[in-house]
Amino acid sequence: MISSYIGYYSLILGFILSIILLIYSIFCFKKNNKKINQNIFSILFLQFFTVVLSFISLIYSFIVSDFTNETVYNNSHTTKPLFYKITGTWGNHEGSLLLWLLVLTLFIFLFIIFSKKQPTKYRLLSVFFQQIIICGFFLFLLSTSNPFNLLFPAPKEGLGLNPILQDPALAIHPPILYLGYVGSSIIFSASLASLIQNNINSKWAKHIKKWIQTAWFFLTIGILLGSIWAYYELGWGGFWFWDPVENVSLMPWLCLTALLHTIIVLEKRQLLKSWTLILSIATFTLSMSGTFLVRSGILNSVHTFANDPARGVFILLFLFFLIILSLILFFIYQEKEATPQKKFFLVSKETSILVNNWFMMYFLSVVLIGTTYPIFLEVMVDEKISIGPPFFNKLLIPFLTFFLIFMSLGPKLNWIKDNYKNIKYSRIGLFLICILISFYLIKNTSTEILFTSILGGAALYLLLTTIREFLVNKHNISQTISHFGFSLFVLSILLNSLFSSEISANMKIGQEVIYKKEQIKFLSLETHKKENYKSVIANFEIIDKKKNSIYLYPEIRIYNQPNILTSEADIKSTIFFDKFLVINLLKGEEIFNVRYQTKQFMIWIWISTCLISIGGILGIFKRL
Amino acid sequence: MRIIKIILLIFFLILSFQKLLIANDNSMIIDKISKNLRCLICQGQSVYDSQSDFALSMKLLIKNKIENGESEDQIYDYLKNQYGEWIVYDPEFDKKNLILWAFPLLLFIFGGILIYKKVFIN
Repeated sequence: MISSYIGYYSLILGFILSIILLIYSIFCFKKNNKKINQNIFSILFLQFFTVVLSFISLIYSFIVSDFTNETVYNNSHTTKPLFYKITGTWGNHEGSLLLWLLVLTLFIFLFIIFSKKQPTKYRLLSVFFQQIIICGFFLFLLSTSNPFNLLFPAPKEGLGLNPILQDPALAIHPPILYLGYVGSSIIFSASLASLIQNNINSKWAKHIKKWIQTAWFFLTIGILLGSIWAYYELGWGGFWFWDPVENVSLMPWLCLTALLHTIIVLEKRQLLKSWTLILSIATFTLSMSGTFLVRSGILNSVHTFANDPARGVFILLFLFFLIILSLILFFIYQEKEATPQKKFFLVSKETSILVNNWFMMYFLSVVLIGTTYPIFLEVMVDEKISIGPPFFNKLLIPFLTFFLIFMSLGPKLNWIKDNYKNIKYSRIGLFLICILISFYLIKNTSTEILFTSILGGAALYLLLTTIREFLVNKHNISQTISHFGFSLFVLSILLNSLFSSEISANMKIGQEVIYKKEQIKFLSLETHKKENYKSVIANFEIIDKKKNSIYLYPEIRIYNQPNILTSEADIKSTIFFDKFLVINLLKGEEIFNVRYQTKQFMIWIWISTCLISIGGILGIFKRL
Repeated sequence: MRIIKIILLIFFLILSFQKLLIANDNSMIIDKISKNLRCLICQGQSVYDSQSDFALSMKLLIKNKIENGESEDQIYDYLKNQYGEWIVYDPEFDKKNLILWAFPLLLFIFGGILIYKKVFIN
């Protein structure tokens, strides 16, 4: 009860501070002081503190199961383990928005500390723009999604958290993803500030690059965690479904990746200023629309757990406001081309980065239209269509092949101007050999052999090129690791999708099935009782060709509050394959549907994504 | 010498192709079709991935139809008639979906022109 009051009023205080900051930063801006007024630091810190306080009070309400708080009542239960009581704080709409706000205030506070070398006016303006966003989120939270609504009389017991959210990976997935999303807000604010101050130059690029890399790193890891969770929790062995909610997290990632490359051109050659700005604005807009699309419930998706259409309207209006504001600023302040444009040469690093952006924007447009088109079609002509993996595969994979080839050539080129002759014939030979290798690896598995072997060959080629780069040329390790990771990523997805196999059978205890020379024995069944669920654990023995046996323990959980049945897969990972087994209850108590899958190179998908993001984090610490 | 190698490569490629076109059995086609169908009673799952009654009966239906010698397209057409376009994950290439298919490709061409202009006309 008390904690709800504390939380609520500190939110209001934070909102007031936000308005004060809006006015005060403009006031300081007009005064032309050399240094930033200390008060700005103090108020920013105070604001961060109010949100932290508010967040802690919400966590506290969850821990003590204070059901006078409506959010707690809707999403918690006394029998839930403490860990999930805490993580349940951001497993719902109100709490997750409070987390958004927390990260927003944290980032601007860090930004102002770490930008001391930048011009004062630029920093003040960044604070101003970030406060506009923060102000909007405060308003959103207080008016439509207050986490501290009180219930009277207090209910005895809460409604509980959706069991599939009660999971360690999903506990940290939202905070990490938000660090990425919200990180893009700083890039947005800083770009607008820089635009007005006419400050877009290589010094600025160098400074904002660290923030781009930070946001990008968290976004990558955030998406990875979501995929890993989907892999073992949703229980059908896939890790990416081209589901709308996944797509909305991929869109800012694609845009940010483009920005990550463009900013280097700006840093090294002072080119592509407007394009950098557009990408910064677009990245944040996509992050915001992501939140809008997920939270409004427009999307038909497995992941939409908490949503409310009325709230969508607010985010949508706010989004339009921000877009229009940035567009107006863009057209007013866009630098008139006084100096003659520097030239781009066909064979040069900057052109290869342009090519990267070209493909990134194409991938983005495919994901964007694939995600939003069904919504428009339904609204306009009232027809429902589904857009799934076949659509994305058709439009993405052919282009991915070329992208991989450019990726192996581009980084080797020099700035300004390079020569065709530096591309040696031996490389073409190597490329053909790669295609041949991949062809022989996969010739018996695919139906579209030509496409697949060229794609595999291109990925293999990139892999070899980056390994060579790593050995010969050590000056750009972060890039080499990321690119190596990407080639490994494409290869492992390809091999995974081609070689994975599965069998589905209905089995009783004691029965066995033989599949591809493997014996699958259903040995026994045990029942356990936990605090918030009843669990049925099966024991399977898998005996392979060489008579080695492994045991798998898939589980069915019957949660008490809410009353939901979930299947927990059991997975044994090795470096070559995952053995994945999941059971489902069929009618009656005795027969189970058993799905046994061998997923080749699964672990390499996770490892390669980690490598991609490690490249990003190395970039941050390079020459700090 | 290099030319001979390349010719050999191409020759091998074509040779292996012949073998491939034959290797295709029913279960592969069933999997392919069911991956492309939305399980109507589930949330965001394909028929292939789902274990619901709907999905199971759907897989049986596809199997029967294939054994009766119907082609992939015939099966899709049949299902679209029964359940509407919503059931297939692969949107059709027709007038109403024109923007869907054309937008990314047009954007790609447009981007290409922009880059071309930047590099060659300056």
